[in-house]
Amino acid sequence: MSDLNRDIKQLIIDALGLEDISVSDIGDEQTLFGEGLGLDSVDALELGLAIQKTYGIKIDADAKDTRNHFSNVASLAAFVTAKQAA
Amino acid sequence: MINFNIAAWRAWAPGLDSVADWQAWSQQPRLLDASNSAPDVSFLPAMQRRRLSRLARMAFSVGWPLAEGLEALPLVFVSRHGETPRTFDILSDLGAGQPLSPTQFSLSVHNAVIGLWSIMRGETSEMTAVAAAGDGLEHGLIEACALLHEGAPAVLLVITEEQPPEAYARWIDDVPFPYAVGLLLTPGEQWQVSLSAAPPGAPRTRWPHALELLRHLLAGHTSFQHAWKSRVWNWHRTP
Repeated sequence: MSDLNRDIKQLIIDALGLEDISVSDIGDEQTLFGEGLGLDSVDALELGLAIQKTYGIKIDADAKDTRNHFSNVASLAAFVTAKQAA
Repeated sequence: MINFNIAAWRAWAPGLDSVADWQAWSQQPRLLDASNSAPDVSFLPAMQRRRLSRLARMAFSVGWPLAEGLEALPLVFVSRHGETPRTFDILSDLGAGQPLSPTQFSLSVHNAVIGLWSIMRGETSEMTAVAAAGDGLEHGLIEACALLHEGAPAVLLVITEEQPPEAYARWIDDVPFPYAVGLLLTPGEQWQVSLSAAPPGAPRTRWPHALELLRHLLAGHTSFQHAWKSRVWNWHRTP
């Protein structure tokens, strides 16, 4: 597990209050919203805010591909890496 | 005048959970340490309870057992001050120029608890969130009696207050400690409550009205009064 993936998992747990879940319970490719981890739309907003604050990046909520970036931990890590490099 | 039966009640405050706990407290009422203790709501799935504040947990912990087995149970939720800790967090972020938490914001509104109650119980009956003055108990009872009068077989009344953040201490003087009281009300003549004008300088009760009611219930009193500002609520129980 890469450090960034691990950090994002911890961020998800902390920001969304998932007390009974640990980093090892979340798969890199596991779907975060709806199915999989079972997060909802309020979680999406909260996680978006946490990512922006933690990594100092800007997320355009209306952009078409934002939804894809949030599909799992691996896609989020790729998105953060790309944004920070830009 | 309104009349109703109290079919059952539940209450929670830090360290007070059972009827025996409340019996002991009501014989020797004292201030309780607000602490961080919150009631057990493990009857809710972890994913559902994770966002509940202590205020919401208090409301659920007293309401849930009273609603057990009852379908289509209207709810009257009463809190004068509501989610003051959440509001204070939001205002602090705003003051610091920080973006606001969507979770904090969506759950800070006064009807958030009844919204969560509706979602978690699949309950679609009438629900009302009331913010009255120090006599919210009685205002909530009027609301509940209107629902009983309309034909509801039972109404759940929940009165709850959270310990406000220190910054509000100068203005909020009617929350001695966090508490919640749930009353399951049914149509009947057991209790009558009437309103009259208070004489000037009528003293406030020592404890919040909902806690005073518990003391009277536990002591078996049949007649007592709650004064708030210009109003006196006269409580009578049919022997």
